[in-house]
Parts: sequence; structure tokens; C-alpha cells
Amino acid sequence: MKPSQATQRIAKRVVITGIGLVTPLGDDPEELFAALCDGRSGVATIENFDTELLPYRQGGEIRDFKPADYLGSKNLRPLDRTGRLAAAAAHNALLDAGWSEEARADHTIGLVLGTLFGSVHTISQFDCRALTAGPMYAKPLDFANSVINAAAGQTAIWHRLPGVNTTIAGGPAAGLQALGYAADLISSGRAKILLAGGADEMCYESYVGYHRGGLVCGGTGNAGSASRQPPHPIPFDGRRNGFAPAEGAAFLVLEEEEAARQRGARILATVRGHATTFDTSLATDTAATSASLSRAVGQALARAQCTVDEISAVSASANGAVRGDAVEATALADALANRTDAVPITAIKSMLGEPMGAGGALQVATLVTSLAHRTLPGIAGFSQPEKAVTLGGLSAETRKLPQSRAPIGLATALGLQGPSAALLIEGGADDGTSHHV
Amino acid sequence: MVAQPRIVVTGLGLVTPVATGRRQTWERLLAGADGISPVQSFSTEKFNVHLGAEVHDFAAADHLRNLDPTTLGRASQLAAAAARLALDDARIDPASLDPNRAGVALGTTSGEPLEVERFDDRLVADQLDRVGDEFIRLYPCHMIAAHVAAEVGFAGVNTMIPTACAAGNYAIAHASDALRWDRAEVMLAGGADSFSRITYTGFARLGAIAPELCQPFDRDRKGMIPGEGAAILVLETLERALARNATIYAEVAGYGLTCDAHHMTAAHPEGEGALRAMTAALNESGLHPDAVSYISAHGTGTPTNDRLESKAFRRLFGTRSKRTPTSSIKSMIGHTMGAASAIEAAVCALAVAENRVPPTMNFRQPDPDCDLDCIANEAREMPVEVAMNNAYAFGGNNASVIFRKCHP
Repeated sequence: MKPSQATQRIAKRVVITGIGLVTPLGDDPEELFAALCDGRSGVATIENFDTELLPYRQGGEIRDFKPADYLGSKNLRPLDRTGRLAAAAAHNALLDAGWSEEARADHTIGLVLGTLFGSVHTISQFDCRALTAGPMYAKPLDFANSVINAAAGQTAIWHRLPGVNTTIAGGPAAGLQALGYAADLISSGRAKILLAGGADEMCYESYVGYHRGGLVCGGTGNAGSASRQPPHPIPFDGRRNGFAPAEGAAFLVLEEEEAARQRGARILATVRGHATTFDTSLATDTAATSASLSRAVGQALARAQCTVDEISAVSASANGAVRGDAVEATALADALANRTDAVPITAIKSMLGEPMGAGGALQVATLVTSLAHRTLPGIAGFSQPEKAVTLGGLSAETRKLPQSRAPIGLATALGLQGPSAALLIEGGADDGTSHHV
Repeated sequence: MVAQPRIVVTGLGLVTPVATGRRQTWERLLAGADGISPVQSFSTEKFNVHLGAEVHDFAAADHLRNLDPTTLGRASQLAAAAARLALDDARIDPASLDPNRAGVALGTTSGEPLEVERFDDRLVADQLDRVGDEFIRLYPCHMIAAHVAAEVGFAGVNTMIPTACAAGNYAIAHASDALRWDRAEVMLAGGADSFSRITYTGFARLGAIAPELCQPFDRDRKGMIPGEGAAILVLETLERALARNATIYAEVAGYGLTCDAHHMTAAHPEGEGALRAMTAALNESGLHPDAVSYISAHGTGTPTNDRLESKAFRRLFGTRSKRTPTSSIKSMIGHTMGAASAIEAAVCALAVAENRVPPTMNFRQPDPDCDLDCIANEAREMPVEVAMNNAYAFGGNNASVIFRKCHP
């Protein structure tokens, strides 16, 4: 799709000026990057809820999450876990970008948050209490958080963000959709400064749902035999048998480039283009599903006025899912065309698990750091490529990226029965000025 | 700077507690219909309130041509039916479109709550072994936009915006921008929610449900009535609509989205965010507040909402707030949650197209705190050049959208 003249002429450039995240592998972008490069995993046996009745117990939990470390001593009771994760990541992102409470007093900062569930735990708890104790004993506080935009609302209240406050639910693509929409709002002049990213919590209800869907790693998945039981997710690997549900939150601070430069902000990267597409077969036709993702990549490249030859690295959404990873591999092979063997690809969900709404923002956040260091983490545990699809860029090894003045990174998100998305960022020059410190 | 494309409404699909279909719903609303009745979808025995605005006699199979309705959650069924009605109303054969340039943006409050309710029933009955793969397949709320797009074959932009009771307006804003930004050439925009015991319990627990009548802006108003429904608007550029000789209901002139950043469930005491949203929408439309002919209010019928919304009107319009015709169709169809502002957007588009405005029913006693011309109990014929659609939500979300007569 070719953007019209009008679109190109009014577009403002959108830059990333801050990153804030909370993950099973830490809350500091540099520490997370180091952990990913070392192949450390945040996936372990679940502790936050009782797994006694579940055959598989692997998940990406944030252990010892202490919201007060980020949010101070104010009363945290009104926020559920998703809300706390989101508010903590937002706190870090605002500080990282230099938007302290005083600095942002005269600015209308808004928020676009991607999520898959909001908090299905809060919703279910509210309902179950009404069922067992009677409706008049249900908890009003839980009801306030039962709306899917609760985390976005709580984050805006906590940090006093009066601008646009949008929640996007797009399955695994929610995070990239949120970043893309936020970039468009700034690019078109509708907003100047936005927090964009996503959040989801790890909870019993969603875990049971994924388990009953046959999607959690540790079992035999859809296609595997009893002998194929790696307990950890291994994206793109022939032995994979599912993903590890996980949790996390990540926000990037997006700003209009000129204003960011004027205030002396540190520019981490530029959002070059994005697109989102949909597979109308609802994943009943695998070829159509993969075509929808490769179409998103093509449209994102067209929007960015960039070619596939310029892509330095890919951060894929592959998480170990038996069907999804094969579809994403096919889509990437198609989208990368003549460079199928050349472009290094990572899949951070091999180590972070599947953080749902936070996934896309975590892919982009770690891609920003990767481009700054010219280093791409490997895919932990990857050793046996699937025969059907050849992607030369898959590797367990952490790789140096070629030196390039302004490297381009591609993040992809595949939605089975939901939208897919692709987003391109451009890293800074390799002179240390734009490194994340 | 190159002029932005103008965005127009060319099709309306409605599934509401008073009727299904654009013409039927509109006539019923103008006639002051009552869509409120004792709740049927679950027992209200343990509640102190019993009324709801359910969509009765709805069969998705009457509308769906592609998907099997039994494989969809109820909100998806309502939305997919509204999508079919909207495309038919717009005289668009979806097969004639470039699927990659046709998209969907929908809002919701609860997504598919009946799916989590079924899960919870099993959880409390210690029958979790009876949960199959349907929970994860049907429950996540993005499946509503997915089912709509799959039903009509739209492969472009696909966005689900769960910004609670302002979600319809958020989705219309998103969709109109997708057209302005050349990400699509036709968008289906709207909202859907199904009647839910979780929602009902929550509002009952807050003491927000009216026992007998929904009476927005009335001195004796006692609350809202939860409801369900779906509305979908067909949006396209003016250029495209003219080229295909479409019936244009109205132009989407501008919008404003803000956040109170004040409280999760209570509106700002000075109507701050609501005022900023209305002001932003008028500014983008290039209109002075005096140009507003009709306001479709959020008007839930709760004592607080109506008082604060009226206060925001006074701050925006000054003394003219008493003379700007304003109504709340929630008096007739209850609060349909994520569908509400989408249904009300359709009402604004029809008001602009036909110079008729629906009434606020059940209005008996004026409230000095709500000193408005609230089109009491009887529809009105009057010139409607500009209609403003307001919606407010949990999370402090505010959204106003301006619809204007289209003068090509």
C-alpha cells in the first residue's frame, strides 16, 4: 500500500525517548538485554497460584514484584496486579524520558495501552464472590477494575496523565497495535507525547484457559508425540510444544521529533512505519494467516519508505506455539524475500514466556537496545530448525549486527484468529550518543 | 498543507433493545419506545433491582451469511449482525471492496463476559474439568472485531478498543483517523456489549441501577438501567461516497478524547475532562459552541452523571446550555455499555440527516442542577446542522464526537 502524498506531507517524525518495563528478567532495559544475550530464562515453575491440578506448571512470573518500589507509599489497594504492573512500567518510562512530575505539569501526556485480558483474574474474582456470597457482597473495588481499560485508567490517575487514554485489545498483536496507533496520533499532530505499550498479568484463569486450549508448553501440543516434551518454550524449533504464559508491562515514550530535540531529550530510536492486518479465514487457512502477517510487513515497509534490504534485525512474536510459530516462520520467509537467509531473527519469548499484551512493547523495547548495541540476543534453546521453513537467521547464539549508520529493526506479531502487526524502528548512530544508559 | 480527506457516515446497522435495523430502531426511538423489562438472562432473585434492557427475539442466523453463529459469543453475534445491516444500509457489497483496504474498529466494555461467567460457574461448582478450549477461543474481547471482519471479509485494519462506556466513540475516532491516514478506504466502526450478570452485579452493588424507570436529567432520577446491543457505522471518505453516489447521513467533523486522571468510577467534580473533550471536538470541527444544534448526552440517569454533565454543558455553553436541545436515549434503551455511544452516534447521524431528534423519556420534574432543554418525552422536528455525541467511562475516559450535515 502506497501512502498518499497527503499522508507523507503532513507526517511528523516520531521518536522513542524513554523505556520502562517490568519483566520476569528485571526492570532495567540494559539488565534485560544482558540477560537475553546470556540466554537466561525467566520461565520457571509457577508460584503465584496453586498449580496442583494442572499438569504443566511453567510460566514467566515476576517474582518479588514490589510496586511500592516504583509507586511509593501511596495506597495501592485500588490497583490490581495488571494495574500495578502498568503503573510501575509507566513510572520507569516517564523517568527514563526525563518527564518527571514537575517537567510534565505543563504537558498533556496521554496513554495507549495494549492488553489481551486486562485482568480476567479480577473479573472472575468479582463474579465468583457474587456467586458464592450473593451479589450484594461483591466488591465494588474489583468492579472498578473489571473494565478492560482499568490498567490504563489507573496508570493515568496515578501519574496524572490527562491526554488521550486508549486501550487496545488485539490478542498478541495488541502491543504493536498500541505503539502503531500512538505513533500515528503523534505523526498526525493529534498528540505530542504518549506512553505506548502494554500490560498483562499472569493468573490462574488465563493459564487454565491456555492449558485447556492445548497451548501451554510441557505437554504434547497439537502435533507432538509423548517423547516431545521440552518443559520450556523453544520458538521456531522443531521440538516445540507450546508457550509459557507470562506477565509483564512495558511502555515506550513516543514524542514528536522536533519537540523532543528542542527539549534536549535523548533520542533512542525513530518509529519508521507500521501496519496491521487481519486474516479473514480465522486461521482455518494457514496460508492466508501467514500471508496476512507478511502483508503487514510489506505495508509497514511501504509506510516507512524503506526496503527489505535495509532491515538489520527481526524480533518475532514466536513463543513456542506449535501452529503459530510455523505460520510466523512462513510469513517472515515470504516477507524477507531474497534476504531470508541473511537477516538475524530473535524470539525473546523463548526467555520471557508469552507476556500477551506486553509482548509487542517488550519486543520493540529490546530491539531498541539491540540496535543501540548492534547486538541481537539468540533464541534460547533453539537447535533443531523445522524442515518445512528455512530461515537462515534463526540461532541460539547472540549475534553482532552489521555496522550501519542507522540500523532498521522489524518487530512482528502474529495473531491466530486475530490481527497481525508489524512495526519498524530505526536505531541511532553508533557513536554512543543514543545508547540507553 | 494538503487538506485532510473528509469522513462521512454512509451506513448504519443497529441491534438494540427496542428494535433491530436502522429504520425500525429510529422510528421506535422517535416514538419514545420502552426497551426496558424484567431481566430474563439470569435470575435477579438475590438483587434489589430487576430491570434490564435486553435484546429479545434476536437471532444472529437471520443476519449472518458466512460464520456459524453458534461458534460466536453473544457480543460477536450482535456486532456481526449490526455489521451486515450497516453494509446493506450503505448499499456496499463487501465482495466488491479491496479486502486489504477495508477495516474494522469496535469498542466494548466487557467483551464476551458470558464466556468468563460460564468459566466461573464451573470454577465455583468445582467442575473446572469441564472447561474446554472454548474459553480461550471465545473470551478475549478482540474476538468481537475479529468475528465481524471474518463475517464480512475485511482484511485491513482490525482494532478492538475496550475503553468501557466511551468505547464506541473511541472506535469511531480511531476508524475516522484510519481513513484520514489512508490506512483504509472503508471502515466499520461501532461497539457491542452483551447483557451480563457481572456488569449488572457491579452496578447493583454501586447502587446505580434504577428500580423502575431510567429518568435522565429528572429531579427524581434514581439511576441507570444496564442494557445490551450493537451499532456499526460505515465510514468512508467523502470523495469515495460521492463517487459511488452513496446516501450520506452526516460528516464526522471532529472528536475529542481525554482522561480525567482523577478517579476510576467517579467523574471529575467540575466536569473537567468532559469539558476538554467537547472543546477539542468543536475546535477540530472549526465550530463555536453556539453552532451545536443537538446534543446526544451520555445521560445515564444516575444522580451524579447527569448533574456533572450538565455542569460541563454550562461551562461550555454558558446560559445557552438551557436552550441547546439535549436528549438521552438511555431513557428508552438503557445503558448499552460499549455499544451506547455507537448507537448514540447513529442517532446523531440520523438527526443530522432527517432534522428530527429523539426525546428523553420519563421526564417529569426538572432538576435545577440539570437546567437543560432535554427534549422531554416527545421527539422534535427541528433543523439539525451539528450534533454532538458525548460518552464517559470508567477509567475517567471522555469522548465527544461531532457530526455535521454534509455539504459536499
